[in-house]
Amino acid sequence: MPYNIAMVSDYFFPQPGGVESHIYQLSTKLIDRGHKVIIITHAYDGRTGVRYLTNGLKVYHVPFLVIYRASTFPTVFSFFPIFRNIVIREQIEIVHGHASLSSLCHEAILHARTMGLRTVFTDHSLFGFADAASILTNKLLKFTLSDVDHVICVSHTCKENTVLRASLDPLMVSVIPNAVVAENFRPRSHPSYPPSEFGDQMVPVQQHLGPHDTITIVVVSRLFYNKGTDLLVAAIPRILASHPHVRFIIAGSGPKAIDLEQMLERNVLQDRVEMLGPVRHEEVREVMVRGHIYLHPSLTEAFGTVIVEAASCGLYVVCTQVGGIPEVLPSHMTVFAKPEEDDLVAATGKAIAALRSNKVRTENFHDQVKKMYSWTDVAERTERVYDGISGVLSEADFYGYDAADAASWSATRGRAGVQSFALIDRLKRYYGCGIWAGKLFCLCVIIDYLIFMFLEFWAPRDEIDIARNWPKKSRVENSRRDHRTFKR
Amino acid sequence: MLTVAPHLRTRRPSPTTVEYTVSTYPQPTLPLRLLLGLTILLRVTIGLSVLLLLYSKFLLSAYSTPLVSYSARPPIKSSAFIWYLAYNVTTSRLGTLFTYLATLTTPIILLPTSATILYLLSLRLHTTESLLVLRGLGIQTSSSSDTFLSGSTTRFIPTEKIQDILVNEAFRGFEVRYYLVVVVEGEESVVVVFPRLLPRRQIVETVWRGVRGCLFEPDEKDGLRG
Repeated sequence: MPYNIAMVSDYFFPQPGGVESHIYQLSTKLIDRGHKVIIITHAYDGRTGVRYLTNGLKVYHVPFLVIYRASTFPTVFSFFPIFRNIVIREQIEIVHGHASLSSLCHEAILHARTMGLRTVFTDHSLFGFADAASILTNKLLKFTLSDVDHVICVSHTCKENTVLRASLDPLMVSVIPNAVVAENFRPRSHPSYPPSEFGDQMVPVQQHLGPHDTITIVVVSRLFYNKGTDLLVAAIPRILASHPHVRFIIAGSGPKAIDLEQMLERNVLQDRVEMLGPVRHEEVREVMVRGHIYLHPSLTEAFGTVIVEAASCGLYVVCTQVGGIPEVLPSHMTVFAKPEEDDLVAATGKAIAALRSNKVRTENFHDQVKKMYSWTDVAERTERVYDGISGVLSEADFYGYDAADAASWSATRGRAGVQSFALIDRLKRYYGCGIWAGKLFCLCVIIDYLIFMFLEFWAPRDEIDIARNWPKKSRVENSRRDHRTFKR
Repeated sequence: MLTVAPHLRTRRPSPTTVEYTVSTYPQPTLPLRLLLGLTILLRVTIGLSVLLLLYSKFLLSAYSTPLVSYSARPPIKSSAFIWYLAYNVTTSRLGTLFTYLATLTTPIILLPTSATILYLLSLRLHTTESLLVLRGLGIQTSSSSDTFLSGSTTRFIPTEKIQDILVNEAFRGFEVRYYLVVVVEGEESVVVVFPRLLPRRQIVETVWRGVRGCLFEPDEKDGLRG
């Protein structure tokens, strides 16, 4: 059953990043599966208005939100009129918000519930509980997630984190990992895509490393504190001291780049460590295929798409055992380390030894990763979430059988496994958020509802034009068939 | 009641010419004509009374010279006739009433209010915008002005200057609207057709198809020539 879906997030192209490409890839695959997807984001420099991307993906760059990026609270409602207009003209049924720091997404979820739409939220990041900023973000998250139909997290660790931060019923949180476009991350020796029509699967050759061959370790990361650059600074001299035939390639930029450069100068390692500076996402593969080992010293990570990309390029991965990283790759592709200097050095040493003894079949990694992570699969699983919240799947199917019995009936879910839109039910959910916060949230919801009533009167639905859908092509397989007959 | 939502009227004087008019003017029925006539009468009456009030105020001020009475009626085509008329009106019972009213108000209030009223009276009730397509020559957009004081603004774009005609979407206020644009060669900004009314998608699409069909010569293979 095709849905009309609106993806809402502050983060979208032309700004580069993980969330941005996640939204794009997921939307494209959902369109391939027959859904209609639009993206609502705010205007970027020189990019305002309505745009189309490949595949008929429509992007609304809402202009007037640019002013308010700095302050969010006073404009909780200002997005509503234009959001309502877009939702009505595109006949949206499901609003899917992304990223917990995007206020646009939170507002959209609130307004969508007021308008009686199904909502899904995807969380891409882990947060702490201690510092003031986290507490504020968590409170805001709790507000929006009090009344959301379903939440998607990118890893189990992320799920645990989100459930704790927003006090959610774990049953309404699904885990759907990120994916990679495996075609863009193939090893150097791998044949290019699409595979040739002769159907010959080129068997990847195992590369033998002699005891004196140089092993190159690649690091691709933004050089920030949370990415573990300090750990890297401490570990690199020790690794290079104990392994003479090892080189480093470091790509990325950030405030910690200066520390790295100081370390290189202090230890005179310029000839063994290559600093590339910032690289664009499409160039990452070119950097990765130059190496044998990928080192990922991150201190916190919700998923770690980059290690999947590295494994897909046929690199043996050394990474810290933090956040969602242990869930991402099978054990034969990785060596785990505790996030501390000694253990990271030891783990890298183990990885080098394993490669030297040719025990690791890195040439098979690409095909294995391709089977494990694909956006088509992510889209399929996301579609199942949509089915679940719109009541296409029964409660037992969607939440599991034990959830269907009356004993585990939860106040957050209605009888049919889908949340009720009645204002009083919504207020009940918000009221439980806290002594003061609960009342404040209820006030916001009531004002939102009144604004909605006013908008229905001020800009009636029948005066809003329904947008035309992007013409869909039926799947054409003629070209391939023609080719075959021609050969004969 | 006097205006309707923008609707489209098409005129095709010849096979190669077509005019699309979008207007808020309703179907002209007899009651409607009478009503419109009545509004014009009302406008004229209110306008004249405002002018009379202003004139009375002027007469009360120190800058005016007192009017002289004429013993006989001057010929109609002379400037003296105007003064004769003004004297007669101001000394009539209606004139004395207005003089009394003028004494009650101060110029600070009277001048801006009467200016506003006169402006409001000069506003057109309906908006009419049109697009004339002439094959081989070009297109002409025209848009009626706000007030009766100025005529409509028109713009002619020759065919060889037209790069494309397309329907686009854009944010306008709190909504997203469809609109028809003409991309003109060598110009930074595009020309929006029907810029004031911005009719709904249905109309925009009809006009777009019509313009594309009429402006450009049909291909031989389309078989329009038979």
